[in-house]
Amino acid sequence: MERDGLIRAMKSILGPEGVISEREQLRSYECDGLMNYRVIPELVVLPETAEQVQRIVRTCYEEGIPFVARGSGTGLSGGALPVEAGILIVMSRMRKILEVDIPNQRVVVEPGVINMWVSEEVAEDGYYYAPDPASQIVSSIGGNLAENSGGVHCLKYGFTTNHVMGAEVVLPDGSMVNIGGGKAPDAPGYELLGAFVGSEGTLGIATKITLRIVRKPEAVRTLLAAFKDTEEAGGAVSGIIGAGIVPAAIEMMDALCIEAVETAVHPGFPQVGAILIVELDGPAAEVENQFEQTLGICEENDASEIRVAEDDAERALFWKGRKAAFAAMGRISNDYYVQDSVVPRTELGKVLKKISDLGEEYGMRVANVFHAGDGNLHPLVLYDNNVPGEAEKAEKLAGDIVFTCLEHGGSLTGEHGIGEDKKKYMPKMFTTDDLNVMQLLRCAFDPHQICNPGKIFPTPRLCGERPGPFRMHPVQKAGLAENL
Amino acid sequence: MDRRNDPPDPRETGNPYDATDATERREDEGTFREEGMAGAIAAGSPQDIPRETLGTRGSVRQTVGIGRSTETGSYVFPAFDAHPPPEKDLIDDCVHCGFCLPTCPTYVLFGEEMDSPRGRIYLMNKGLDEEPMNDEMVRHWDLCLGCMACVTACPSGVQYDKLIEATRGQVERRYERAPEDRAFREMIFQLFPYPNRLRVATAPLKLYQRFGIGDMLRKAGVMDRLPKRMKAMEALMPMMTRQQEVPDVTAPVGEKRRRVGFIKGCVQRVFFSEVNAATVRVLSAEGCEVVAPKSQGCCGALSVHAGREEEFQRFARKLIDAFEDTEVDEIVINAAGCGSTLKEYDYLLRDDTEYAERARAFAAKVKDVSEFIQELGPVAERHPLPIAAAYHDACHLAHAQGVRQQPRATLKQIPGMDVREIKEAEICCGSAGIYNMVEPEPATELGDRKARNVLNTGARMIVTSNPGCMLQIQASLRRMGHSMPMAHPVEVLDASIRGEPVETLLDRR
Amino acid sequence: MDTRKKNISLEDLQRIVGEDHAREATPEDAIDGVQPSFVAEPGSVEETSELLRFAADEGLAVCPRGGGTKSSLGNPPRELDLVLSTARMVDVIEHVPGDQVVRVQAGIKLQDLQERLAGSDQMLGIDPPETRSGATVGGVVAANSSGPRRHRYGTIRDLIIGITVVLSDGTVAKAGGKVVKNVAGYDLSKLFTGSLGTLGVIAECNFRLHPRPEAARTVAVELESTQAAGEAAQVILHAQLVPSAVEVHWSDSSKLLTLLIEGIPPGVEAQSDTASYLLRGFGEVRTLTDEELGALGPSGAGEEVAIKISAPPAELTGVLDSVLGACSRRGVAPRVTGHAGIGVTFLALSGADDEAYAQIVEELREIWSRRGGSVVVREAPPAFKERVEAWGPLGSRLELTRRVKEKFDPRGIMNPGRFAGGI
Repeated sequence: MERDGLIRAMKSILGPEGVISEREQLRSYECDGLMNYRVIPELVVLPETAEQVQRIVRTCYEEGIPFVARGSGTGLSGGALPVEAGILIVMSRMRKILEVDIPNQRVVVEPGVINMWVSEEVAEDGYYYAPDPASQIVSSIGGNLAENSGGVHCLKYGFTTNHVMGAEVVLPDGSMVNIGGGKAPDAPGYELLGAFVGSEGTLGIATKITLRIVRKPEAVRTLLAAFKDTEEAGGAVSGIIGAGIVPAAIEMMDALCIEAVETAVHPGFPQVGAILIVELDGPAAEVENQFEQTLGICEENDASEIRVAEDDAERALFWKGRKAAFAAMGRISNDYYVQDSVVPRTELGKVLKKISDLGEEYGMRVANVFHAGDGNLHPLVLYDNNVPGEAEKAEKLAGDIVFTCLEHGGSLTGEHGIGEDKKKYMPKMFTTDDLNVMQLLRCAFDPHQICNPGKIFPTPRLCGERPGPFRMHPVQKAGLAENL
Repeated sequence: MDRRNDPPDPRETGNPYDATDATERREDEGTFREEGMAGAIAAGSPQDIPRETLGTRGSVRQTVGIGRSTETGSYVFPAFDAHPPPEKDLIDDCVHCGFCLPTCPTYVLFGEEMDSPRGRIYLMNKGLDEEPMNDEMVRHWDLCLGCMACVTACPSGVQYDKLIEATRGQVERRYERAPEDRAFREMIFQLFPYPNRLRVATAPLKLYQRFGIGDMLRKAGVMDRLPKRMKAMEALMPMMTRQQEVPDVTAPVGEKRRRVGFIKGCVQRVFFSEVNAATVRVLSAEGCEVVAPKSQGCCGALSVHAGREEEFQRFARKLIDAFEDTEVDEIVINAAGCGSTLKEYDYLLRDDTEYAERARAFAAKVKDVSEFIQELGPVAERHPLPIAAAYHDACHLAHAQGVRQQPRATLKQIPGMDVREIKEAEICCGSAGIYNMVEPEPATELGDRKARNVLNTGARMIVTSNPGCMLQIQASLRRMGHSMPMAHPVEVLDASIRGEPVETLLDRR
Repeated sequence: MDTRKKNISLEDLQRIVGEDHAREATPEDAIDGVQPSFVAEPGSVEETSELLRFAADEGLAVCPRGGGTKSSLGNPPRELDLVLSTARMVDVIEHVPGDQVVRVQAGIKLQDLQERLAGSDQMLGIDPPETRSGATVGGVVAANSSGPRRHRYGTIRDLIIGITVVLSDGTVAKAGGKVVKNVAGYDLSKLFTGSLGTLGVIAECNFRLHPRPEAARTVAVELESTQAAGEAAQVILHAQLVPSAVEVHWSDSSKLLTLLIEGIPPGVEAQSDTASYLLRGFGEVRTLTDEELGALGPSGAGEEVAIKISAPPAELTGVLDSVLGACSRRGVAPRVTGHAGIGVTFLALSGADDEAYAQIVEELREIWSRRGGSVVVREAPPAFKERVEAWGPLGSRLELTRRVKEKFDPRGIMNPGRFAGGI
């Protein structure tokens, strides 16, 4: 189908306001939160109902046109990067909260609903939505679903996949399925919902999502502890986890980060080698007791200063400082390359040292902010794009950091996803067989490979091929036939 | 073949913004951009530019700029010239994180990337480099309310306010608006910044309102047939009351603690003169000698927010002159919209050789009245006013000046006051200077949204620091069949200091 | 169904797994009355892979088996030739207490694993009743078994962070890893949860662990009515308590709502007090002793049909009423237990005939599928399963479910016929 025909078809589904076809405007959709990759989509469409999404996808299926779904466009791995000659389906107009069901502790939302809105909606009833990525004030639930977003509270509370109960999904052939229980748990059949969450938009488009909401804890206590360096802070973390305490959140920032954040949002953090923000929540008696223990452990590990948040405002300020970390980097450096690696917590100290050594080797600054409790680190390689060659050096350093993490038993990505950005590293973590088997799943959902193609897997597989070792056909084995 | 108007060819220009390769990386060439800018500067002043528009793909009306030909022979039309354009450094501060999106009223309404600060900055960036100014771009910039909620939300510190003001200036000079649009805007700016004209023009309003002519027109269905913008203006008009004048000098009550200048505003002194009267009384009660020079005119806020730079500079210089020999310690303003511009006089007049220094001195003295009262420290006794009031943050006070806590503190210092917070407080009410007159539809949506949130607080009155917001929210409430008395925080404080009963606040329009 | 050659011998299997580890099947190895020919026990992932490759080539229908505790889950198999037992793959591959992660071979008994973890004061947060009868970790994953503690810790799907599977053609693949936070690639660990061996054999699993609670107490309230049960459950759910389990027990002899409260002693103390306070309006509140807890345990012998009802948790009263109504009308006295905070209710039926049971299942299925839930027959005599399909309808998911099965097991040799949708 040529372009004009496609535009007409889309306008007949969505009306003229729902279709963007002018080049200058298409430009503003050429990348998501990761600016390093840009592709101008052929067309951008903004559906408002699930039925419209179905019709759009159906048209794409029939015409063999690839499509990519996008929420708020804040992803950090290029997951919403448009595809050459493809359509970008922007879900930001589907943003109604459809149902709030407090007795069953669930909320049903459209995918364009912003993460924070869910918590705001149920706050008065004493509930909140637990997965809280730093982008929660702008990232959409649909996007959170695609990336299986985490957040600072995911050590204790889990990720998006632990808080999604059901979804209505438009499959790449335009048909609609309901996966997951939605209202009731344990729906018979395969755990398709579990496979769908975190599939980075390559298996279909969710048009209605049932989320689990959680009762606000009785007590919350937050402290900020200052340490000489990340090693000392790491010791405190080990001590806390070792004592059997499961903090709601435990975050670490190093000196560069602290500096940037102070310039940006002025939380008044002590300017030291490393700070730890620890939050405990739960039943009051338990929290009180474990908080005392935590304070003790921080002291044992030579914390130079410990601040306890006196009220909600102060607590919010601690978190504001932490959550603004990435964007605040803009204040101390022209550009930065954010990584999202995970290592087992016990390897954290070694890996941090290695990263610092690498940084010195390359002569580049690396700031570190990370979820100390689960080993998810975000090294931020700082560089200046205006200096020739720096961008490449930064990328190479980032790659070395990734390899280091893999060597220590970690993963390529803890929360940001593979998307476009980390495809090339997949063979370092998975064998060909591993990747092929994953793609079996993709073939089951998207046999024509039109749904966000080119993401996650470096080498797409045709759906006709079978993975696995070569083996002789039984007839051949019996000597009755030969392989040509 | 005349290729002057073909789009730049990425293979030839090597410009990565024309990238279509899925894995192409962003590279910084440098040279191409500089050439474009050089071409723009070479154009000289706007008078040098030929009037014929050189059409490019699709758009009807084009920039009247001229570009320099590149090696391929095609012309480049950067949307902006050097006059000044939105600053590249400020644009580069944006890391594309998107935190501004959920606080932007137009993104909340339309859900389109270009109607968000991130998208608008993107368009500005393109305008600096190679995209010509066209209808679509201007439309998206025009739709920006200038509420600066994005500035509050941005963790990278992007100074969007400076960017949009520079952009608007460029648009006003380099973009040819449709004739009716031009005429309407001209009418607004011939009227609103001139209090005397405004007074005269709206005098008939008293009779109009006394005889309920508006309601008659509505019932007869005539109102609906008026052009949208006229309808919008009609809906916004406040109830006209008797005007109270502010004396040139007002003595303090008791010991003199400060000598302050007072800015009367334009819309404020014509439509809300009682707010000015209350302000002067309160300042006096708190021990200030208040000087309100008679010669003062408009501060130029409406003009600069609309990109009318020359007009703004005339107003600003005149206002600085008016306060020249007053020897005041501070200059107090009670209108949020004016306050934010007054505090920026140093930046806005930085290139004015004659006035730069005086503008700096002037700007340093400017204080919003709530801000000032808290700084001064209250001395006058506050009598109880037991009432639930919803406090509405005017964008130009909260986002632009960062003054949020002080008006609330001023209210909470009054015994019996129950200050209610409005949900979605950071989202603009839609007044935004002249926005609710030139863009009535989105303004109505935003106004209604705000009005609903206000009604949901269960408060009995609304308190806010901006006359524009007052007009806007009241119009929306009326449209919904409600009414709620409104007051400026300083009016509430005035009632409390004078020991007036709660009814004085409630028995008002 | 393609033609299958089944003229294989025991020696063929022994050549792969060793002489001592393959044998002829006995009647005990039958599944729902379908008798396999052989049982083989591979000792490694490689042997498992070779075995499956062989099976695929020969067209053998294979059933993976751990502890065999869930052999009667699902529909009877369409055919069955080989039982692939994980009994020899019982190692703990790696346990790093500081990371709260453990990596195990799928054949390890859950009981053994928990004992091992207890040595470091840790546990896997899953407590299916089959633990005591020798359920293996792989089996728990494949059957998605869970117990009362799912209220706090989630099901096995929320605890599994990595998996190594062997597909029906011998391909070995892994997904996930050994870190809790991991979004690289698809989450195949979750796909395999509850797949009942129909997608492949689960060979290794990685789990996230929790600290073992120091103290525990069970607070119980006597229920006067099903109404009280529902209301009490709601009160507890919306309170700021963090119980490890919220269970309802309903039978002729006892009608209780119980809360298991675990944690550090001061926390347990305080929460028990709060719970008692909240529940006192519904009936007599007391703490249960160990004996009483034991008496409440899962079914003993004697029941014939076990059913699981999933419904929205707020409808607990409705579930109980529908169950009691359906049963009383047919003269059946049910034993009901349930995870009151989750919406899962278990029904054990005895003392009537298949026809009555079938009607009960159909009636309940009718009511609860319309309300967004499901009714699954967990255990029943094969004859009953001819009458009533074990899983219930898959609705809009059927097509997609079939496609997934087709991709992972194109020749359909893995547990054919046992799963939902006739797969």
